[in-house]
Amino acid sequence: MLSIENLSVAIRRPGRQVAALSDVSFAVRPGEVVGLVGESGGGKSMVARAVVGLLPGGSHATGRVLVEGADVLRMDDAALAAHRGRGAAICFQNPRGALSPTRTIGRQLVDRLTTHQEMSGDRAREAARELFEAVGIRSAQRRLDAYAHELSGGMAQRVMISLATGCAPGLLIADEPTTGLDVTLTREILRQFRHAADTDERAVLLISHDLASIAEVCDRVVVLYAGTVVESGPAAQVLREPAHPYTRALLRSVPDVGGRPVVATPGTMPLLTRAPENCPFVARCAHADDTCASRRPPTEPLAGTGDWSLACFHPQTRPLDAGTPPTPATPVGGAAVAGPVPQRAVLEIEDAHVVYRSRFGSGGHHALRGVTLRLGPGETLGVVGESGCGKSTLAKLVMGLVAPTSGTVSVAGQALVKQPGRPRPRGRALRRARTRAQLVFQDPIGSLSPRRTVGDSIAEPLRAAGLSAAERDARVAAVLDRMELDRAILRRYPHELSGGQAQRIGIARALVGEPDLIVFDEPTSALDVTVQAQILDVIADVAADADRASVFISHDLATVRGFADRVVVLYLGRVVEEGPVDVVFDTPRHPYTRALLGSAPRLGATAGSEGAGVELVKDLEEADAAAGCPLAARCPFVTDRCRSERQELQSYGESRAACWRVPELPALIGRQAVTP
Amino acid sequence: MRIFRFVIRRLLQLIPVLLGVVLLAFLLVRVLPGDPVRSILGPNATEEDAAAARARFGLDRSLWQQFLDYLGGLLTGDFGTSIQSGSSVGSEMALRVGPTLELVVISVTIALVVATTLGIWSAKRANRVGDHSVRMFALAGNSVPEFWLGLVLVLVGYSILGWFPAPNGRVDPDTNLTPLTGADLVDAVLTANGPAIASATAYLVLPVLTLVVGVVAPLLRSVRASALEVLHSESYAAAKAHGLRDRTLHRGYLLRATLVRLPSLAALVFGTAIGSTVLVEYVYSWQGFGQWALRGLLYRDYPVVQASVLLIALCYVLVFLIADVVHAILDPRVRL
Repeated sequence: MLSIENLSVAIRRPGRQVAALSDVSFAVRPGEVVGLVGESGGGKSMVARAVVGLLPGGSHATGRVLVEGADVLRMDDAALAAHRGRGAAICFQNPRGALSPTRTIGRQLVDRLTTHQEMSGDRAREAARELFEAVGIRSAQRRLDAYAHELSGGMAQRVMISLATGCAPGLLIADEPTTGLDVTLTREILRQFRHAADTDERAVLLISHDLASIAEVCDRVVVLYAGTVVESGPAAQVLREPAHPYTRALLRSVPDVGGRPVVATPGTMPLLTRAPENCPFVARCAHADDTCASRRPPTEPLAGTGDWSLACFHPQTRPLDAGTPPTPATPVGGAAVAGPVPQRAVLEIEDAHVVYRSRFGSGGHHALRGVTLRLGPGETLGVVGESGCGKSTLAKLVMGLVAPTSGTVSVAGQALVKQPGRPRPRGRALRRARTRAQLVFQDPIGSLSPRRTVGDSIAEPLRAAGLSAAERDARVAAVLDRMELDRAILRRYPHELSGGQAQRIGIARALVGEPDLIVFDEPTSALDVTVQAQILDVIADVAADADRASVFISHDLATVRGFADRVVVLYLGRVVEEGPVDVVFDTPRHPYTRALLGSAPRLGATAGSEGAGVELVKDLEEADAAAGCPLAARCPFVTDRCRSERQELQSYGESRAACWRVPELPALIGRQAVTP
Repeated sequence: MRIFRFVIRRLLQLIPVLLGVVLLAFLLVRVLPGDPVRSILGPNATEEDAAAARARFGLDRSLWQQFLDYLGGLLTGDFGTSIQSGSSVGSEMALRVGPTLELVVISVTIALVVATTLGIWSAKRANRVGDHSVRMFALAGNSVPEFWLGLVLVLVGYSILGWFPAPNGRVDPDTNLTPLTGADLVDAVLTANGPAIASATAYLVLPVLTLVVGVVAPLLRSVRASALEVLHSESYAAAKAHGLRDRTLHRGYLLRATLVRLPSLAALVFGTAIGSTVLVEYVYSWQGFGQWALRGLLYRDYPVVQASVLLIALCYVLVFLIADVVHAILDPRVRL
């Protein structure tokens, strides 16, 4: 179907030359899902652009990109127009941005159907509804008239898939289709691509930076590094026994819910100005020797395998240490809190509710429904849940950025925001109290002021606290050393930073005022996997400080497991399970926790891993919280009692869960497995 | 339905706005140096004559009293009596508004169509010869003073080519046009007066052209900028990568997304155009609202100035209301 042969793309612009791709060759056959994996800047998107003939200006491509025998690089305008959509269709990375904001999504789909499948208007509208249903959009008829801004992230991605399949392409390309989606949705979306390959015999090219999460649905994977293919082979085998050091590094950087520690790979990908003459990974590779530095390894099939090839002088053969249990007792954070909860609580939340009122009239969105938390110094709390479950509201509540509708919140014993029936500090005292809690944001570059230097940004909390210039400089220098950043970075502006550097700056800014509490709000979800591993190392180090408490919010369960002491699982604004992190992850009690863990990708994935195996029946946005258990609408084990009775947290062993059926669950799951 | 509620709410907001405008106009015109009574009396009038004239126009009473009288008159639709002409300001204004509105509305409409077409055309050829020349011409037109452009157009279009009538009115009096609204083209169409339609159109061409050239540049610039933004947007790239036809792309994915930001600028331009008409009307002897308001101001004809300020304010508010509604219709993300 798709066959790329020796594709090289060089981008020449005044004062800049980039070798985006060098000698890339691989093929995708009909009915096959191929994963294209690597860090950003590795050339993944460039491959996608080359396939649809949309290379950026100033680029010069050599080699051949054959789609059904025709070379895309040599097509004239008419042939390209016919090829785009019908030959190959892309699902774009940011679906909400890729949908036109001023046209209903139904019309956008109809446009594709009438263009590529020669349907009449009415017939196309009917087909559009069917396509929407096929990708799992409920009340599809109504959704046809929706606009892009009315869709959630997962829904927008589904629409994007339906748009791409609506072109009836021979080749379906998905560019990072699951970035920013939570685990349950990721699985569902990836399944859609597998489905497209299986039922319609389409060739699917799946582009991602996260090998572990896409490997499950792929037949084969191709690993790109600095514009070169370093390894390609059957997905299951590459995942189990990756042979190229870079593939191993990629896999090791991904935290795993099994508790395997993250191994960060130092350094960053080089930006090549021309095709490399040595191994591009040489600077970061532990196995590199003189040969690697002087010659570029040829791509050769691995001995004794049919379809597995790699470009390395030192192929590794050992399986990645995925199956091994975590090295005993290295909860990096808070070794100090083994005993009873300490006297002084840094963060206390008592039955807090947050309701966002709608602008006019009554009603509103109930974001938090009675959350009680207590966090002592040195403790690290992980907060997990799907998007929309109230995680970010919890962060805002802790920071004093939203007021609780009822209940109380105190940081270091003080209220940061107006609360029912409590005094709160004002003016200077309030400002001082606010410095006790700091936030690290999800978008590292967006959270720094674009017009201030890094140095100014880091020193800002100190200036607010009224420290002298000399003292400020000393504190900034100290925190910079801790983040392993060079002093020269202080004079730079945010747009000159890489994502990893910017997030280190964000952490430095939070840390510099020596707060009692740091809230990390999805600090790594916008970063590449290898950078993510480096940042997680830094965060683990910060969270281990004995006199500070940390809250780590993430939809990625695996990142939480790395260093949190305790974990709470949020669902629709309620805590459904809480307990020590290993207990919750190894022996989950609540059906929701089981479902979350079941959806999380595991390395060396043995399907149906222990304890999990719960499949939720609907998407979050379609379930409304009824009077009883909030999960009732989605839980496969729901009974009438669940629907009517509010569930309180009850102790089961070391953890607590808000579900009365916990003791019966293992038996129920067993039965479900027999009769699906 | 929501748009209807929004319009009602905005129309209710109009009342305090206009009250404020009335008060400000009333005070400011009296703060200006100059005496309206002196300007009608002539050089030999005595103090007694002046006092008598003041009493005739009620200018001898306290400011407060005058304002209440004026306000009471407004409520019954009475704009007062012109000091200069002695006739009713309301009926004078009614005569003058039509021609000017006709001029401005036609000009701004043509300017919008031209700007949209050329702006998108130009954005599709960004940084090529066509794009640069369109922008240069627009900029040059914008830089030329309207009265000068008007004179040049008269010179070329009437004196040299002889294609258009002399700048001496709005319609040929021989066509026996019955005035209804004051807007001659509209009247001609309403009375199905064929020769009058031709004549009014011919008279309109040059002044409309003058105004269009004056206002098209900012509109064009804005359309081109937002069209470029849309062309470079992810959503357009996605539609293109899915191989949609050029016509579908243009109509469905470029046009509406580009026009989203135009209405508020168009409203501003409409306001500017009302201001520009003063000079254009002067050049073409249009006998419109702008000329009338200017003369009122020069002679400190209080009721005329107040009435014209009030009318311009009303126009502004209504045009911006229309712009907001159009914006909301174009852009589904806007909530009213």
